[in-house]
Amino acid sequence: MSSKYKILIVEDDTNISNFVKTILSTNGYQALAAKNGKNGEMMFHSHCPDLLILDLGLPDTDGIDFIKMVRETSDMPIIVLSARTGERDKVEALDFGANDYVTKPFGTDELLARVRVALRNNRQGNGDKAGMNQFTMKDLFIDYDERKVTLEETEVKLTQTEYNIVQLLSIYAGRVLTYSEIIKKIWGYSDSGSIKKLQVNMANIRKKLGEKPGENQYIANELGVGYRMIAPEER
Amino acid sequence: MNQFHKIIKNTIFTVSVLIAFFCLSLWVETVFQTYSLIPAIFALAVFLISLITDGYVYGIFSSLLSVLALNFAFTFPYFKFNFSIPENMVSAIIMLIITIISSTLTTKIRQTEKMQAETAKEKMRANLLRAVSHDLRSPLTTIYGSSSVILAQYDDLSKEQLLQLVKGMKEDSQWLIGMVENLLSVTKIDSGSVKLIKTSTVLEELIDAVLVRLKKRYPQQQIKVEIPDDFISIPMDAVLIEQVIVNILENAVQHAEGMTELILRVREKNGIAVFEILDDGCGISKDRIQDIFTGYFEKKEAPADSQKSSMGIGLSVCASIIKAHDGKISAENRPSGGCCFRFELKMEEESDE
Repeated sequence: MSSKYKILIVEDDTNISNFVKTILSTNGYQALAAKNGKNGEMMFHSHCPDLLILDLGLPDTDGIDFIKMVRETSDMPIIVLSARTGERDKVEALDFGANDYVTKPFGTDELLARVRVALRNNRQGNGDKAGMNQFTMKDLFIDYDERKVTLEETEVKLTQTEYNIVQLLSIYAGRVLTYSEIIKKIWGYSDSGSIKKLQVNMANIRKKLGEKPGENQYIANELGVGYRMIAPEER
Repeated sequence: MNQFHKIIKNTIFTVSVLIAFFCLSLWVETVFQTYSLIPAIFALAVFLISLITDGYVYGIFSSLLSVLALNFAFTFPYFKFNFSIPENMVSAIIMLIITIISSTLTTKIRQTEKMQAETAKEKMRANLLRAVSHDLRSPLTTIYGSSSVILAQYDDLSKEQLLQLVKGMKEDSQWLIGMVENLLSVTKIDSGSVKLIKTSTVLEELIDAVLVRLKKRYPQQQIKVEIPDDFISIPMDAVLIEQVIVNILENAVQHAEGMTELILRVREKNGIAVFEILDDGCGISKDRIQDIFTGYFEKKEAPADSQKSSMGIGLSVCASIIKAHDGKISAENRPSGGCCFRFELKMEEESDE
């Protein structure tokens, strides 16, 4: 089976590495593991994996530096494994080019969902809108050419800004976009009131899409980090 | 930086006291036409300085200066240094002794106070540590024991037995995850000097995060949410407050026997956000409700089965998180049955940032 996706895991804890490897290989992926940053860098260059799962707390390399190193030559998807307490680490990793994060401790389903989404996004050219003119997810339908959002066949009336946000999130569906990333792409600049502005817009969007706390169907909120359009691959 | 600040403060205090008392002495001298009071005045100055400042340095420095000033301005020959007169030397020695004794005394008193505070904190930490280690033991026993059995006897186990063992391991590790998360919250607050970093958090998003997390652990549990329709944003450490709400809800799920309805309600009252978690379960007995937020630390008869006692730490953690936010937390039995946990957070940060 040469068509298997190759996934490189860079993680210093043997047990975690083993169990991630097991999950991946029993689900039809080819898994490679590296114990430290140096080894990981070597394997990254020699094996050209399709996806990287990276632990931020490596013994020899700073996780962020590793992301930067990868991003110099490749835009392969990177999923970061992070500790729960480090909101800042997550935001930093995402801002430096990681695609997604999984918080330790995590379960099988969570990891696999993220892996599927990350690989899909990469197939589509990593957020490049070219070639995409619509987005469908459950009852939500977005027509990029007409700039129109419909929910269960009825049009959802969004303001310009609200539409821009929804479109942005849908292009990167499955991927967490940090507050600052969204602000930069929607308004082009950021000031002290930007986050609030974004939060208010998001609140309106949620209301218009009929989202209820705890049962968000379309847009997941990652407290303190950003927002993520739920991808069709996730269940 | 702080150290530097302290030195400046002490120096300014020392110098100004010395100048003030020197002027006082000059004034006394002209008014009363006598020198007999002067040494007493300087002794008072030196005493004051060694009382207020930190350590010996300032006291000794000021006593030496005082001796010089006495020698220079107030003893014969006036406005001239003269170290050959024995009484001057004696007064200098007495001054030094006063300084050293009072400095020693104040330093000792301060040390005792600090030690007492440390001991109280240390005691709480030790209690927490003991209670936690006790509670950690049984889930670890399950995980360690089950995995050992699986490894040693894999071929002899039926599929059901295997699944049972692994299920137990999963359940207990989930419990451990909750415990560790609580401990992390405590250390985040207890590290003391680090101030909480509050960010404006949208209420709806906070509640969403709470519900998503709870659903993972208790997929069956329904929670009725009543929050205002308006856009509400509250300054807080969102991760910690999320922990508070999850802990209280979890407490209800585990302990409120006969509960049919669990309500999470938030309302706004005079610039304060009031969070209420209401259940209609069995309520809390009178002697427990008193120390429900502190009970974990003083628990005397620890029940052998740790699963039941586990939430004690959760509620204690809630109390310290809310305290760190300058908020209020309380628990009461509802007249209609069940109990109500309530905590309050300020909606506006007082001119921070």
